[in-house]
Amino acid sequence: MPDTSNQVRLRVRYKKDGRLAYLGHLEVLGTINRSIRRSCVPFAVGNGFARRIRLQFSQALPVGASSAGEYYDLMLTQRLEPAEALRMLAGATPTGLAPNAAAYVSRKLPALEAWLNRAAWEVRMPRFVAPHDLDATFSQLRDAGELRYMRGERQKRIDLTSALVGWDVSTEGEDLLLRLDTRSSNNGSLRPQILIDAALAKILPADGDAGPARVPLRVCRTGQWHEEENGNLVKPMPSQEE
Amino acid sequence: MRLRREDLYHRLEPLLGQVEKPSRYLDHEWGAIEEQDGPFHVALMYPDVYEVGLPNMGLSILYSILNKVDGMSCERGYLPWVDMADLMRAHDVPLLALESSSPIASFDVVGFTLAHEMACTNIVEALDLSRIPVRAADRAEDDAIVIAGGPSVWNCEPVAPMFDAVLLGDGEEALVQMCACVSDGRTAGKPRAQILLDLSRIQGVYVPSLYDVVVDDSSTRWGYAVPRPGTGAPEVVLKRCLQDFAGTDPLPHRIVPYMDVVQDRLAVEILRGCCRGCRFCQAGMTYRPVRERPAEQVIEAAKEGLRITGHDEVSLTSLSTTDHSQCAAILHQLNADVRDQGVRVSIPSQRLDSFGVDMAAEVGGSKKGGLTFAPEAGSQRLRDVINKNVSEKDIDVAAENAFRNGWRRMKLYFMIGLPTETDDDIVAINKVADHLLEIGRTVVGKGPKSGVSVSISVAVFVPKSHTPFQWCGQLRLEEVRRRQQLLLHTCPDHAIKISYHDAEVSLVEAVLSKMGRAGFDLIYTAWRHGCRFDAWTDEFSFERWQEAAAELGLDLEDIASTDIPLDRRLPWEHTSPGVSKGFLKREWHRAAQGVTTDDCTMTSCVGCGVCPKLGVDLAIVGDRHAGHQ
Repeated sequence: MPDTSNQVRLRVRYKKDGRLAYLGHLEVLGTINRSIRRSCVPFAVGNGFARRIRLQFSQALPVGASSAGEYYDLMLTQRLEPAEALRMLAGATPTGLAPNAAAYVSRKLPALEAWLNRAAWEVRMPRFVAPHDLDATFSQLRDAGELRYMRGERQKRIDLTSALVGWDVSTEGEDLLLRLDTRSSNNGSLRPQILIDAALAKILPADGDAGPARVPLRVCRTGQWHEEENGNLVKPMPSQEE
Repeated sequence: MRLRREDLYHRLEPLLGQVEKPSRYLDHEWGAIEEQDGPFHVALMYPDVYEVGLPNMGLSILYSILNKVDGMSCERGYLPWVDMADLMRAHDVPLLALESSSPIASFDVVGFTLAHEMACTNIVEALDLSRIPVRAADRAEDDAIVIAGGPSVWNCEPVAPMFDAVLLGDGEEALVQMCACVSDGRTAGKPRAQILLDLSRIQGVYVPSLYDVVVDDSSTRWGYAVPRPGTGAPEVVLKRCLQDFAGTDPLPHRIVPYMDVVQDRLAVEILRGCCRGCRFCQAGMTYRPVRERPAEQVIEAAKEGLRITGHDEVSLTSLSTTDHSQCAAILHQLNADVRDQGVRVSIPSQRLDSFGVDMAAEVGGSKKGGLTFAPEAGSQRLRDVINKNVSEKDIDVAAENAFRNGWRRMKLYFMIGLPTETDDDIVAINKVADHLLEIGRTVVGKGPKSGVSVSISVAVFVPKSHTPFQWCGQLRLEEVRRRQQLLLHTCPDHAIKISYHDAEVSLVEAVLSKMGRAGFDLIYTAWRHGCRFDAWTDEFSFERWQEAAAELGLDLEDIASTDIPLDRRLPWEHTSPGVSKGFLKREWHRAAQGVTTDDCTMTSCVGCGVCPKLGVDLAIVGDRHAGHQ
C-alpha cells in the first residue's frame, strides 16, 4: 500500500448558483471531480478498485436549490499554498460552481457530510398566504413532532422537534421571504420544500384529488456549520480564511 | 416563418423545476463555445435527448470545425424529453438551441444527424417543436435551410421530404462548403430554389427536391429517383470521402457534460472505416476505405484530451479498434502514461480472436467485468454466408484466453433471420454458448462459485441498403417468434441466459430501410398517432405504427419481408457510397455459396470499387494482421 501519511486535507468552499442550481447532487460531484483533474492540483487517488480521487462533499442540495456555501475536502499529495490551490481550482471550474475559499484542516476531523449538521436556508415564494398563517402553521407542525411525507414511492418521516431549529417569515416586495434553521442527524435532514409543502397542505384548500399544487420556490442554502454538543456553532473554514 | 434570433432562456427556466433531469437543458458546460457572434448561424441537432446526442462524435467534429470558420457560429440542439416537449407546447415555447437559447427556427442552417431509422419520428417532432415547416416543400423563402447527414443517409428517401439537402459521407470539408454556399447565396439575395441548385453542385450533396420518383417495371413498388430535367443534378450522388483523415483534429470531443451521458468519457476516433466485409453490415460498406491515425497522434491527443476535459476514462473509438495496425502499441503506451492518475483506457468492442482478448486484457487492467463478442451466427456455415471471418477455433481460443485471464462472464451477440438460416443454425447458437460454458468450467472450475456464465443477446436481422443483403426480405414476425422459441427450448443449460431484441422494433426498422420516398407518409402519420422516441423501449408502440400503416393502406410485414429481384432498380441507387453494385451482387452470390471474401487491409484488393471511384486509398500506418499474435 502506498504511504498516505504525507497527504494533506484541503477544505474548499464553493457556491452553486445561476443555471447550475438545477444540477443534481451526483452531477455536482461528477463536475467537481473533473474540475479537480483539469486544475492539475496534486490530488490523491484512493487505493480502491475504482481508483477515485480522495474527495468528500457536504450534504446533498436539492435539485433547483442554490447555495452560498458548499464544501468539499480534497486530499492532496503536496502542500500547495491555499491561495494557489484556490486559483488553480477556480480556473478549471464552471462559474456556477466556482470555489471562493480554501484552507487546510485536520485530517482527524470526521467526514464533512456528517460533521456539518446545521444549515441556514433562505426561501422565496409568491405571497399567496399570509405570513402569520405560515408562521403559525410551522409552530403547529413542530409541536406535532413527527412529519411524514412521500419521497417517490416511499414514505419517509422526520422529527421536526430536532430538525427544525427556528424560522422567520417576512415579506419582501411581492414575495414571502422565509429563513429556516435546520439540524441534520443520522435520522435524516429537513429539506425546505418538505416543510413548506406540509404547511401549505394545511393552509390551502386541496385541489381535487391531486392535492395542493406545488408552489414554485427559490431555495438557497445560505450557510452550514458544525454544532457541538454544548450548542456552539463551529464554522467550516478556519477563521483566517473567512 | 423565420423566428427572430433572441435569448428565450427566461421562458424555459420556469419549466426546469417541473421536468426530469433539468441538466439536459442548461448549456454552459465546460468546453461549450459560448461566443456565438455569427453573423451566419448554424444549429446542429441530434434527434434524441441530450444524453444520447452529446457524445456523438460526428456532431462534435462538425461543431468544432464550423465554430473555427470566420463569420460562422454553430450551436447544438437536442430533442427535449417528452415531459419538457409537452410543457413547451403548453407554454408556447419553441425549441431552442443550447448556447444562445434562441429559437432553432431563427437559424440560417439547421442540420440533423441521421443516426438510425428509429429516430425518424423524432425529426418530425423536432421540426414541429421548432415551428419549422416539416416538409421542405412548405418552407418559405427565408426559412432555415434544413440539412442532414450521418450514418443513416444510405436510404434517406423516407425522410428526404423533410430536408432541403442531404450530405453523404464525411462532413469535415463538405459541411463548411454547404454553409458557405447558403451564406453566399443569402448575401447575394438569391432565391431559395437557386441556393438549393447551388448546393446540388457540391460533391456529396443530394437535394431531394431536384429528383422525381419514377415507378415502373424496372423498379420495386417504391420506384427510383431521377434528376428533374434542366436541373443539372447528378444522376448518382457520390459520397464525400476525406483521404487525409490523419490530418484532421483528433480532439474535437471537448464538451464536458454535467449529467451522465450514454458514453461518459473522452473519445478519440483512432481510425475510420472497416473492410472486414461482413455482408449484413451497412457501416462496413459505407465508411470505406480504412484510414488510420498514427499511434503518436492518438496517444498525444488522448493525453491532451484528458487534461483539458478532466475525464477519467478515454475510449479509442472506431468501427473496429483492435484492427488498428498499431493497436497494441497505442494501448500499452497510453495505459503506462495515464494509469497513475486513476484513468481508464477502453475500447468499444473486442475482436473475436486471441489478439482481441489480449487487447481487452491490456485495457481492463485488474477490472474483469463481462467480455462481449459478436459471432453473429451459430454455425460455421452461416458465419461463412455472412462473411464473419471467424472460425470455431478462433472462438475457442478467444474464450479460453479470456477465462484464463480472469474473465468469468461472457456475452455473445447473434442475429436470427439471416439469409439461408435453418433451424440447425438456431440450435448451433446454443451449441456455441454451451461449448464456451464448458471451456469456462474446465479452465475455472465447476459449481456456482466459479462465477462462469454465458449470456446470448439475439437481434433480428434487418436488411440494409448498399450491402450484399440489400435484396433480402426480413423474416416474418411469426417465424421470428418460432425461431426465438426454438432457441429457448433447445437451450441446454440454466447458466446460459438468453435475451431478445423486440422483433416489432426490428420490423419497423426494416420497413423504413426498404421503403422509398413514400415512406415519409408513414413516418408522418405515425408521428401524428403519437410515435416519438421509437428507439426507447418504453416509448415504442407497435400499435401506433400499425394504425398509421392501416390508415395508409400499407402492410408493414409485407413491406419488410418482400425479396427484391437482383435486376430491379433500387430506391437508394442515386445515392452512392462508392461500393459498386457489381461487387454487392458478387458478394450476394458468394454468400449463397458460403464462400468468404478477405479483408483488403490484410490481404489484397477485393474489388469493391470505392478507391478508384472516389479517388482515395487505404491509409494504414503499420502492418495489419488477421490471425493470432
